[in-house]
Amino acid sequence: MVAMSTNPLAGLLRKSPFKPIQEHMRTVFSCVMLLPALFDALYRKEQGEVTELAGQIGVLETEADGIKATYRHNMPKTLLLPVDRKDLLSLIHEQDSVADGVEKISQLLVNRDMTVPDAIKGGLDELLEGTMEIITQAKNMIEELDELVHVGFSGREHDKVSRMIDGVRKSEHNLDKILKKVNRTLFSVEKELDPVSVMFWYRIIEEVGNLSDHAENMADRLLLFLSK
Amino acid sequence: MEVIAAYGTIMIALAVIFGLYMTWGIGANDLANAMGTSVGAGAVTVKQAIGIAIVFEFSGAVLAGGNVTQTIRKGIIDPTNIVATPEILVYGMLAALLAAAVWLMIASSKGWPVSTTHSIVGALIGFAVVGIGPNAVNWGKVGNIVASWVVSPVIGGTIAFLLVLSTRKLIFDTDNPLRNAKRCAPFYIFLVGFIISLVTLFKGLTHLNIELSGPQSFGLAICIGLMTSAIGMFFIRKVKEDPEADRDFHFASVEKVFTPMMLFTACSMAFAHGSNDVANGIGPLAAVISIVTSGGEVMQSSKMPVWILFVGGTGIVIGLVTLGYRVMLTVGTKITELTPSRGFCAELAAASTVVLASRTGLPVSTTHILVGAVLGVGLARGIGALDLRVILNIIVSWIVTLPAGAIMAMVFFFFLKGVFG
Repeated sequence: MVAMSTNPLAGLLRKSPFKPIQEHMRTVFSCVMLLPALFDALYRKEQGEVTELAGQIGVLETEADGIKATYRHNMPKTLLLPVDRKDLLSLIHEQDSVADGVEKISQLLVNRDMTVPDAIKGGLDELLEGTMEIITQAKNMIEELDELVHVGFSGREHDKVSRMIDGVRKSEHNLDKILKKVNRTLFSVEKELDPVSVMFWYRIIEEVGNLSDHAENMADRLLLFLSK
Repeated sequence: MEVIAAYGTIMIALAVIFGLYMTWGIGANDLANAMGTSVGAGAVTVKQAIGIAIVFEFSGAVLAGGNVTQTIRKGIIDPTNIVATPEILVYGMLAALLAAAVWLMIASSKGWPVSTTHSIVGALIGFAVVGIGPNAVNWGKVGNIVASWVVSPVIGGTIAFLLVLSTRKLIFDTDNPLRNAKRCAPFYIFLVGFIISLVTLFKGLTHLNIELSGPQSFGLAICIGLMTSAIGMFFIRKVKEDPEADRDFHFASVEKVFTPMMLFTACSMAFAHGSNDVANGIGPLAAVISIVTSGGEVMQSSKMPVWILFVGGTGIVIGLVTLGYRVMLTVGTKITELTPSRGFCAELAAASTVVLASRTGLPVSTTHILVGAVLGVGLARGIGALDLRVILNIIVSWIVTLPAGAIMAMVFFFFLKGVFG
């Protein structure tokens, strides 16, 4: 019957690809926000709590993976997008790497009963705090995407996001310094510690540092959106 | 001649029935598609959309539909070779009407994006080629029409592109978008009334015996623009800031200013549709009636009686009420990505382009022009994602619709000729 719609407009207008990216980032963000609690439980040597938090992180990571998979499914090459399709796909990939990284860290803490060396506690706290800050900045930056589309990636909104990108880069630079400091501290006490534990601590520190690298990569993708 | 004298009444009855069938299809699908945008943006409810459609579809057809009706009625086929056998043209017009309507129904049920305009033009050509001969087709005119199918969406897209840029410059990319939106809104609403009425009224409405000079039509268009603007201000003053929604999306309140503005573009879309697409149904009907009542005069020098417009309007309204409201609902739920500000720009651009085409007597596709306008918004980097496969579908539907309409018209023509002859 005629009731079936033949409206080409309905086929033309696809769901905005920026909304799922924001949704994905929110999930990734909740995942990262569990890190301080995870380390806190470790400090208190509550292995049961560590395992439970790691479980929550795993659930959120799977959720983020699901959003990413659906997203890739809905990005045929025939789409006319205001930004490069490949840049969008790598943006969601970078976001997903953050959740993957958090899961990796939590698994390291679950698989081994780790004891935090007193010498690095201060540096580790600083590192975590810096990471929370940069991921929050990155999330705020992603939250501006729908506004950016609305004004065609130009004008005031462009300048605003530009400043946010600068902010993420500056934070990443600061975090690198903290990272170096923590590594040096660990090095200075490593002879007094169990060698295998030391190896794992270097790895955990590196994994936490990687999170902000991904945030910086996200900022670089957004810069490409602005410069198109 | 004797055939017409003997079966004249039956021919007119058939023409009215086929005309109603065709306009019913146009109302059920085409018009519903055109109005679905405003429904989707939340500017009007389905009931309001039907009310708007009834009023403005009629006004569009009566005030601005004359030229396209002329084109369909006698612009495409040159009947000089069949002056002695006018019944051929009657069969042909009936066949074309039926073919276009049947093709429309088949295509709609399959979900193909065909245009009523393409169906009727294809059907007319098909009949003329076999019924009279290839020379009877006014190929120059057909060339212009086909060219307009390509050019009109481009024009619609360009206007939409520029409108989107203007809303950014004047409203969105400013320190206080909400205040500027409320300031600029009356101007944009003025544009809706002004452009549509200027194109319609320019140099007068000769078929209604209204003579207007250039400056006079300008003055009248400005008056109508100001009137619509005044009505619009009444709605816009009621729009309140919504800080809750703004936190999630900073422009939520600004978009709310555009929602009542889409009420006006909805009216202009219905008007534009009436000025162009009603002709697809009533053009052939007018031709049959003119030939029969004049006793077989194929050149159709007589004026078109106004009641034909009412047949067309009635068919469209019945189509809209019986099936169109459902189409509007589905279309409305599917195109929520078109926010009120973008929808406003796209609809204003499309309506202006369609009315301009109606003025020049070119039968165009309202839906395709709206697609072009939305693409214009997309090219301004203003929409998340547009699926370009639709463009391919539209091109394929052109290529299929013209011969399909033509072949069906040929079949119906020989059938009618056999029955009456």
